[in-house]
Amino acid sequence: MGEFEVHRVRFFGLVPAGVRCLACQPRGSRLALARTDGAVEVYNFAANYYQEKVIPGHEARVVESLCWAAGDRLFGAGLSGDITEYDLSRLSAARGADGGGGPIWSMAANGTGTQLAIGCEDGSVKIFQVVPGGIQFERNLDRRKGRVLCLSWHPLDTHIAAGSIDIFRIIDVASGQTVQRIMVNYHVEKVKRECMVWAIALLSRGTVVTADSFGRVQFWDWQQGTLAESHTVSTSAVLSLAVAEKEDSIVVGTSTGATYQLQLLPVKLGGSEKRWVRTKPFQHHSHDVRAVAHSPTALISGGLDAQLVIRPLMEKVQKKGYDAVLRKFTFPHRRLVSCARKARLLLFQFSQHLELWRLGSTRETGKDGEVLPLSRMPEHLVQLKSKGPEHIYCSCVSPCGTWLGYSTASRFHLYRVRCDRVSLRKV
Amino acid sequence: ARAVFSADSRYLLCASGDFVKVYSVTTEETLRLMGGHADLVTGIQLNPHNHMQLYSSSLDGSIKLWDFMDGIPIKTFTVGCKLLALYTLASAEDSVFVVIPKKGERDTFQLVSVKLTKGAGQDLEAKELSVVLDGVGASPKQIAFGREGEYVVSVKEVNLQVYFFKRKLLNRFSLRTVKTKGGDNRFSCVACHPTEDCIATGHADGKIRLWRNFHQRKEYTYSTLHWHHDIVMDLAFSMEGTRLLSGGVESVLVQWHNESSCQKDFLPRLGSPIEYISMSSDGALCCTLHTDNRITIINSNLRFSRSIQGLIKSRDVKTGLVVDPRTKALVMNGEPGHLQFYCLQSDQQLFSLDIVQRQYIHEAGLKQSDLVKVAFSAQGTWLATVEEREEVTDPELELKLWFYEEETQSFKLNTRINTPHDNHITDMCFRDMGELEDDSLILVTTGRDCVFKVWVMVEDTDPEGKYAQQSVSWSCDFVGSYHNYQATNCCFSEDGSLLAVSFEETVTVWDSVTWDLKCTFCHPPGNIRNICFGRLTCSKYLIGATDYGFLCCWNLLTCALEWSAHLNIVVLQPDPLSEHIAAVSWLSKESSLFVFKPNEPRPIYIQRNLCKEKILLAAFVPRDEPETTGSEKYLWLRRSQLLFLTDTQELMTLSTKPLGEKLTPSSKQLAVEESLPVTPFSLLLGKHRRQQSQEDTDLGKLVVHNKHEQASPAVKELLHTPAHVLPSASFLCPIFINSLLISKESKSAEEVADEVEMESEKTEDDSDEERDVTEMEQEDTSHVELLGEMTCKLSKSQEKELRKIRKMDYSWISAF
Repeated sequence: MGEFEVHRVRFFGLVPAGVRCLACQPRGSRLALARTDGAVEVYNFAANYYQEKVIPGHEARVVESLCWAAGDRLFGAGLSGDITEYDLSRLSAARGADGGGGPIWSMAANGTGTQLAIGCEDGSVKIFQVVPGGIQFERNLDRRKGRVLCLSWHPLDTHIAAGSIDIFRIIDVASGQTVQRIMVNYHVEKVKRECMVWAIALLSRGTVVTADSFGRVQFWDWQQGTLAESHTVSTSAVLSLAVAEKEDSIVVGTSTGATYQLQLLPVKLGGSEKRWVRTKPFQHHSHDVRAVAHSPTALISGGLDAQLVIRPLMEKVQKKGYDAVLRKFTFPHRRLVSCARKARLLLFQFSQHLELWRLGSTRETGKDGEVLPLSRMPEHLVQLKSKGPEHIYCSCVSPCGTWLGYSTASRFHLYRVRCDRVSLRKV
Repeated sequence: ARAVFSADSRYLLCASGDFVKVYSVTTEETLRLMGGHADLVTGIQLNPHNHMQLYSSSLDGSIKLWDFMDGIPIKTFTVGCKLLALYTLASAEDSVFVVIPKKGERDTFQLVSVKLTKGAGQDLEAKELSVVLDGVGASPKQIAFGREGEYVVSVKEVNLQVYFFKRKLLNRFSLRTVKTKGGDNRFSCVACHPTEDCIATGHADGKIRLWRNFHQRKEYTYSTLHWHHDIVMDLAFSMEGTRLLSGGVESVLVQWHNESSCQKDFLPRLGSPIEYISMSSDGALCCTLHTDNRITIINSNLRFSRSIQGLIKSRDVKTGLVVDPRTKALVMNGEPGHLQFYCLQSDQQLFSLDIVQRQYIHEAGLKQSDLVKVAFSAQGTWLATVEEREEVTDPELELKLWFYEEETQSFKLNTRINTPHDNHITDMCFRDMGELEDDSLILVTTGRDCVFKVWVMVEDTDPEGKYAQQSVSWSCDFVGSYHNYQATNCCFSEDGSLLAVSFEETVTVWDSVTWDLKCTFCHPPGNIRNICFGRLTCSKYLIGATDYGFLCCWNLLTCALEWSAHLNIVVLQPDPLSEHIAAVSWLSKESSLFVFKPNEPRPIYIQRNLCKEKILLAAFVPRDEPETTGSEKYLWLRRSQLLFLTDTQELMTLSTKPLGEKLTPSSKQLAVEESLPVTPFSLLLGKHRRQQSQEDTDLGKLVVHNKHEQASPAVKELLHTPAHVLPSASFLCPIFINSLLISKESKSAEEVADEVEMESEKTEDDSDEERDVTEMEQEDTSHVELLGEMTCKLSKSQEKELRKIRKMDYSWISAF
């Protein structure tokens, strides 16, 4: 074995971006994830959830909602008010369309994947038709006051549930009219706070599930307008909600970092009467869980602590193996650090800039595991800010340390570094 | 075993040693004591097919069926092996479930169903056993039967097994054994939801898990509730299953509402760890059984209702058995830091005096102050207590003197002395002259710091100040020591002139006026364990017991040893009312009792092999009236009763009568009422029926009386009941009208008036608004009076009003 000098690099101050939303491909095996910096990642369930694609972020593009439509087309919408389609083969945002209703808070695709509904700041719900090569505005549904925070299609595409502040509405898609409007803060006494409906789901049996900022998960019969069940799962807000395809299990994420599973269980063994029961709590995150997803075999949650956690449901996993293991994606799955071996330089990649550092050095030698005193401290040589709103996709430094390159989605930049005077010149 | 409420929630049945006790829920009285088992009763259950009957199982291997209303054993089924728990099921015809030890294996138990044969005789054999579950826990809390008896759950260690009777399916689930993050997954108890398929399990780390979907081996699921910080001792669902009650060592009863909302209610400060929880069948009451021998009855709205409290089991009886001269109650350690006053006659705690006056914290290993010594003055006006906190280096000691206040009928703290001795206090006694003059009252304490101290009362010199009304306090008067030996015991002679203090091997006798050392006695080798003076005719003798197994009697006049006996005496107790002295010896794993007079070398009573346990304490309690009967042998028990406390904290007494006589059934007969719960409506109907039958038999004025006395509260009941809980008006109306009808006897108007006079007194207080009757109405009365019978056909309230008016009328006439 050779002898190595091990450097403790404590000067790479990368702040990973939190997970903003998750979208499972319906009947597919892919998971799309959007981070708070606008980056979109695609994971594939097939081989141990590997990270298949990464689309770098954009300064002007904050993704609030992602959804899959028409098979494998991925759409994102955000507070910029645009709906963007992602080109998954070229790893870039392809076409965009203006939503026309201010910032978009939510987006949902219908069961067949032919239509997209968006919920806007101005309280409108708009329907877009997914056409080959883009999307096309179809019509406006009934507009009411209050931003639409969340949307959910009925599995048969007949109705849309839209959650807003203090209320949620059920809109008939065919007529475009609001058929039911339910106040969710009715049961809370003496509380003057607003009750945000952060997440909503419309189940096939006519049940609406809402998750609100009072920490409740409530089950409503929307036709009667009555509250069927109320589960206070947390003392803080419930931020996200996802329903299994069989509609017998729900996962919710709260702002304390805990996720809970609710299951539809028979009241009596073999009986037909069923009830939702809060079963398992999981505490994998340290911050808000902004996004959850429910795959057939696992609960997936992503939080502001930038972690993606995939918790397999043991009873759904047939045999013990890789599938039955709890997975946590904590580190970025890309190379953000490159090293110029000869010049003893390190290049760190951030979303909007690069940093070049010279490693410290020592003249002394010591035994294994000894900490050697530094004769020369590590030195921050260059900070290079990228131009344009696009985020850096990848970067590299040549082994001799004189060449430095990075690329964004549309451009490639190459720089020459002069270490003696520390200057930089664009080639 | 868990206590059981009778079907009408009026009686509480509770296993107590070899007996089953029946308590009245409303009066807390022990109504009945059902004995017959030869060993510990391990389980009691109501007969599901007859709510007036009770099954009980015992370690003696028999199941008894009782009629608990009359206290009669109906049948005895002999199973033949130890029964550790008993369960009954409504769906299981003529069979019950018991837990028995597995044959040939130690510490393994099985749940078996026992077929109770239907035979004619009273004693039957029940040998038809069939095993339901193997490897169950020995505790009755570790098995529960599910909804309608469809399945049975058993928990042990970290394993849970569910057996479905119909499908004959056994599912086993196990939790992780490793203790992560302070968790401890071992099961402690289990309860089943009465209407849904849900199992609640309590765990050693305080978690409660609610299991569902457990008929599938893989897709079972559970949710967790967590409040308790230590083991969950018991769980109980309410009858509807909407609430779950849990209890543990925190002595807090926690009520969990339906699991969807995280809402829970607490009933804190129940005094001691909760051992068992049981619910009444109508859900109105629940009761908790505590480790210190207490039963608490709690309302459905989680309000403390009442507690049935006998002798409290404290962790350690350090104070000894002391008799309160005032109430003749037995006084000893009760709850931590409290002194309990226990009445022997009624088997009830009279009261509990908080001595330490500090919040008790339930935590293992935490050292807390506790009461170690108690002494009463002769009249019971003064009480001296010593509390100490266990510290290795220097103990924290406090001597408190309490004065009995006649007004409040309780002891009031008079003097508090911090660190009365530098080391543990070993003994304490008052000089009880039996007189009322206060200056003769002296308290002596002996300590391990080699001194004894004499405390006397002093008048307060400071007339003003905060404690102006308190005229006396206690202070130290004399400190005596002997060769720097540890003082171990002290004792005053009967007339109070001499004080004997034992210093390790030596007994010293002091003059209590001048505090001169008079003489010393010793009987080497061995330290003095107990000393006492003789009484009455034997007051010239001093008795001492030593470590080396000698009982010595010294003559104080001659200062010489009178006699000695070779006996390992642990307890030496003089009878305050006679010259008898009881000594209990402990030799080769058995306790023996010797009763002797100091002037006679032969003991007058010897009872060898009194019990197997070591007797730690004894006390003579004066009887209220001298016992008349009794053979020659028991003459010494005529005036007082001798009580023993063993090291397992069982209180025993020596009885002069055979056991059968003692257990004569109590004279009180329980009234067998209809098992229907009393509702306003049933009251109305019942009254009505009774009244009708009476009307049929009786005649004349009596009928009228009955009618009015009974019908009017019924009507009031009807009117005071909220309308939404009443049946429809059309249903009530005919009954109501009927109740107002009068049978067809002729009766004069005078009679009616007479009756009205009587009634009006009663109605006076219940209606204020009827008083302000106007003059106008008064004039109408003459018209009404003429009608006579007609008035009675008016509605009740109108009638009442009329009566009132009439009364007013008469008074008005008399005024003029």
